[in-house]
Amino acid sequence: MPILTIDNQQIEVLKGTNVLEAAKGLGIVIPHFCYHEALGAVGACRLCAMNFVEGPVKGIQMACMIEAKDEMVITTTDQASQEMRARVIEWLMMYHPHDCPVCDEGGECQLQDMTIAGGHDIRRYGGKKRTYSNQDLGPFICHEMNRCIQCYRCVRTYQDYCGGTDFGVLGTNQRVYFGRFRDGRLESPFSGNIVDACPTGVFTDRTFRYRTRYWDIEEAPSVCPHCSLGCAVIPGGRFRELQRVRGGVNKQTNGFFICDRARFGGGYGNHPERPRVPRVDGAQTTWPEALRALRKRITDLVARHGPGAVAFLGSPRASLEANYLLDSWAASLGSRRIAFDSHWQHDRSARVAAGKLGPRAASLEDIRCSDFILMIGVDPLNEAPMLALAVRQAVRRGVRLAVIDPRPVTLPCAAAHLPLAPEALPDVLEALAGGDIRRLGRREAVLLEGILEQLRAAERPVLIGGPDLLGAAGIERLLDTARLLASEHRPCKVMTVLAGPNSFGCGVLARQGPDFEAILNGMLAGEIKALVCLESDPMTGSSDPARTGMALGKLELLAALDYLPTAAAHHAHLFLPTTAVPESAGVYVNNEGRMLLFSSAMDPGTPISVSGGGDHPPRTFLPATPGSEPRPAWATLGHLQGRRLSLRDIRQAIEMEHPNFAGLSSLTTGGEGKRIADISPPPETAPEIPFPHSEGEGTLRLYAMEDFAGSGELAGYASALAPLRPTPFVMLGALDAKQRSLSDGQQVRLRSELGGVGVALRVVPDLPAGIALVPRLRGTALESYVPGRGHYDCQILSEDEEKT
Amino acid sequence: MKQHEQVLFKNRSPGETAFLETYRKSGGYQGLEKALTKMSPEQVREEVKKSGLRGRGGAGFATGMKWSFFPADKPGEKYLVCNGDEMEPGTYKDREILMADPHQLVEGMIISAYALQIPVGVIFIRYAYEQCSRNLERAIAEAMEAGLLGKNILKSDFSFELHLHRSAGRYICGEETALLNSLEGVRANPRSKPPFPAQKGIFGKPTNVNNVETFANVQHIIAHGSAWFKNLAFTESGSGTKLYCLSGHLERPECFELPIGISLGAVIEEYGGGVWRGRRFKAALPGGASTPYLTAEHLGVGLDFDPIEKAGSRLGTGAVTVFDETTCMVAATLNLNRFFARESCGWCTPCRDGLPFINWLLEKIENGQGEMGDIDMLREQIRNINGRTFCALAMGAMGPMQSLVDLFEEEIIDHIKKRCCPLKT
Repeated sequence: MPILTIDNQQIEVLKGTNVLEAAKGLGIVIPHFCYHEALGAVGACRLCAMNFVEGPVKGIQMACMIEAKDEMVITTTDQASQEMRARVIEWLMMYHPHDCPVCDEGGECQLQDMTIAGGHDIRRYGGKKRTYSNQDLGPFICHEMNRCIQCYRCVRTYQDYCGGTDFGVLGTNQRVYFGRFRDGRLESPFSGNIVDACPTGVFTDRTFRYRTRYWDIEEAPSVCPHCSLGCAVIPGGRFRELQRVRGGVNKQTNGFFICDRARFGGGYGNHPERPRVPRVDGAQTTWPEALRALRKRITDLVARHGPGAVAFLGSPRASLEANYLLDSWAASLGSRRIAFDSHWQHDRSARVAAGKLGPRAASLEDIRCSDFILMIGVDPLNEAPMLALAVRQAVRRGVRLAVIDPRPVTLPCAAAHLPLAPEALPDVLEALAGGDIRRLGRREAVLLEGILEQLRAAERPVLIGGPDLLGAAGIERLLDTARLLASEHRPCKVMTVLAGPNSFGCGVLARQGPDFEAILNGMLAGEIKALVCLESDPMTGSSDPARTGMALGKLELLAALDYLPTAAAHHAHLFLPTTAVPESAGVYVNNEGRMLLFSSAMDPGTPISVSGGGDHPPRTFLPATPGSEPRPAWATLGHLQGRRLSLRDIRQAIEMEHPNFAGLSSLTTGGEGKRIADISPPPETAPEIPFPHSEGEGTLRLYAMEDFAGSGELAGYASALAPLRPTPFVMLGALDAKQRSLSDGQQVRLRSELGGVGVALRVVPDLPAGIALVPRLRGTALESYVPGRGHYDCQILSEDEEKT
Repeated sequence: MKQHEQVLFKNRSPGETAFLETYRKSGGYQGLEKALTKMSPEQVREEVKKSGLRGRGGAGFATGMKWSFFPADKPGEKYLVCNGDEMEPGTYKDREILMADPHQLVEGMIISAYALQIPVGVIFIRYAYEQCSRNLERAIAEAMEAGLLGKNILKSDFSFELHLHRSAGRYICGEETALLNSLEGVRANPRSKPPFPAQKGIFGKPTNVNNVETFANVQHIIAHGSAWFKNLAFTESGSGTKLYCLSGHLERPECFELPIGISLGAVIEEYGGGVWRGRRFKAALPGGASTPYLTAEHLGVGLDFDPIEKAGSRLGTGAVTVFDETTCMVAATLNLNRFFARESCGWCTPCRDGLPFINWLLEKIENGQGEMGDIDMLREQIRNINGRTFCALAMGAMGPMQSLVDLFEEEIIDHIKKRCCPLKT
């Protein structure tokens, strides 16, 4: 490890560290623009000049481009390097419009800071300024090219890191331009990262435009609740409204960047229909009334029908603390009827992952550093977008990626795609785990042999799978495969994509408990009279919404605690409002079993809106903030059990009861989190779980799949994501389309057990025969098609056939 | 006008291009035959090293030395690239070679490929040189036909395929690493060195890049020996001939092949026909737009790498541009700097924005709005651009700029004091 001297202070750094980072280690922050930890050093801005006095290189050098070496003596305070930095800033500011007062970046602008730090004050350049015209980059990002200082960070983020192709550098000399070939929405699902990457106000968040100054926004490190990866985000609120989300840093999960769903999908808590007041039998009431009513009704039911008459449903989007308190409440009542996910396969998959993943769990960082990746039954861009980006980073290094999936798995990188029908996936897993490879077709067998060979040859291979097509049985087999492929000297890691931000935590809590299917049967049989739903909506969350609806209709008491205007919240006899993620603190356990702390960025309240209807200023004055009734679910659940608990108390209790959560109470916000201790001994294997699909014969088999912006429960309530939601469509293989004389883009009729619906047809060349795919799109006719439920028999007819 | 031995211009005749037949008659492809039949690749490299040949593209790096860094003996994908993106202002020597005798480049590249054991070559040629490209296409086709290029050249084990690529036409494409990026189809931004192209060139594979004139000399060295080549020069340190392309205020601004090391004065007077219109000599760029000016006191300097460097400039491409006594050096340098500012690739700040800053300063001075403080500002700009940029483009621009403030400071002061250009009529 080299030891070098910077400004008369010595520092020892890791081999390969650049001098700019080494100086940072000493607290010496030299202005820089083009260097970014995730994007690397490229030596474009020439701002981080330092004077190298002794060592292998001499003179004024760009610190980001020089690797720290022993015996280097460097000064940053000498006249020559200071003059250089001042001149570079002066050059960068030659054409700057000085429009800070109207720039959204003002106050959190690196260019402002670095201009001051660089020592440039008065503009000497008196020539004409270069000006640009801006482009319309769509609903998410504003473009203001005159502020550009050509650090190339945007294009390195968009093209190199995120794999976008519709945005880049145009032109040369002092007229280089960062934009698209022509106006239009940035197509990459990671486009928002250029807002974070841009050191000044060229790219700003359009959804946040002219809303708030940096010093007025309330921010806190949090965790994204949109999928199971647990990316670090920083939500920011003002005027009781969540106004923006920016990427946080967690080197084990997302690194520095986030997807557009995380960034622009934070508005679910602002939803105009969000229920903010406790409600009993349809009438709004006060907290004490509602709590008393709920306690009384449950006590009555237990007295009349026994504790088994009350069932509980936790949630993968509720915090570990809240889920735990729900569990302990059920236990205190004597009810064993608690499930943590209404989607049967998702629930079972989470339990398998929680019980069996162990030290083989791959983090996103492990994936970025891997040397061979096999993805099977997982569609990252739609199910866990940042996974696609992690995979891309490996592929950029030359790592090979194999994808086995019937869906057209679009990725921001090259991959070898083997489109096999869902019913072939168990055989593939079998073959991977050392089973008979001949059960597959000849072509498939040859390809699989190749994949196996590379898997065995790799030093750091990673297997990735998802529950929708593999189901819990497939996830289990994937874990077995990894175990078989691993040796003492060569790990084989696995990532299982789960359904929600806390699915893993729920999987641990669920243990051998019943699943929602059992609870559903109990409700239908009339044994269960009451269901308490914690931040979950079985009406849309379960794999069979129709049957669930019927069961809920039989209940004497449906109680819901939530911050979303869900169907369950709407129909609940008793409703208690909870705080949304940015308004609360808690812990999520992500899909690799990493405990991640999120803290509260803002207090709940109805967002201020300009009414202009003559009611301003208010004539009545309230003692409390309007809409501030929601309380953290954990607080309410503690209250219901008659306990006054702090988060700290709850975490300590969890640690006591579940030793695998050791370290929970010492987690810090903004850190990398802590992987849970592996359960030992592992729980007994769950009952034989069938794969989520049946025979390969019969009519056209329709599978529902996730959509980037259209399927997620939270995303469905985030209005800003609307432009990203597709209009309903169905995908069909080229051969199947030809047999039916259907062509791409045609309007067709999709008929299944769920009824008929008109959708557009997309012909996908290599979709396996006999398979059709629809995205689950909330708020459309495709809402009731649930991914991970198995297949629906369907017919696809042209509209003419439909008439006849 | 004294006649010197013509090597590269042996077959040059006005309005005509020598193709295979003529070329062979004059001894063409004998070097190749000798190399392939009588010499090992190592011997070829050694001969080139002994010849003292220095790169003719501008930097003047010893060719033998450059080749010695190349992993010639390692098998695998390797590339040989000819830099024919001749865009240095005042330079047109490569064009003259390719218009007169294109087979010289083809043969030179085949021998070099043999020496470095490279299977694939690419000629990267300036977009404006369409006739040269056609000449090369014909030469390549002829060589293929005659079994001099392609598989098993002259029935030996050695095979070499040669491609021609027309550049999109930016000055920066002449920078060897930007050229490689351009060949790969990405933006022509220079790459960071190390790794050098010899380690990681096109598509990350070892690549050797030389100039047209450099390659053209190779077969003559092989055919006639390194001692003969060294003897062609005027100076002790130099070797070979050099194509000097004359331009500017001369009676006869043409391209001449002369022994390397001939004096600046001799070139101007004997070959260039003297300064035009009977005017007096004021300054010259000895090697293209990115070399510092030489003045009347340097007329005795031999036009070879080392002597010119001693005089404070560089031989560069050997493109001598002469300025007569009526030239405003501020305006001339501004003109040069505008070129460099326009041709900046836009990657690094001092070049992209610093050169336009200097344009503004010089425009101000030239238009009579300069202030005395501007000279210090100019020096400060030069100080912070020179050697601080990503590649050598801006450094080249600072060549004439530095010599403007060093040699013609009085003239700048004159502009400022008179509040106008004193030479503008």
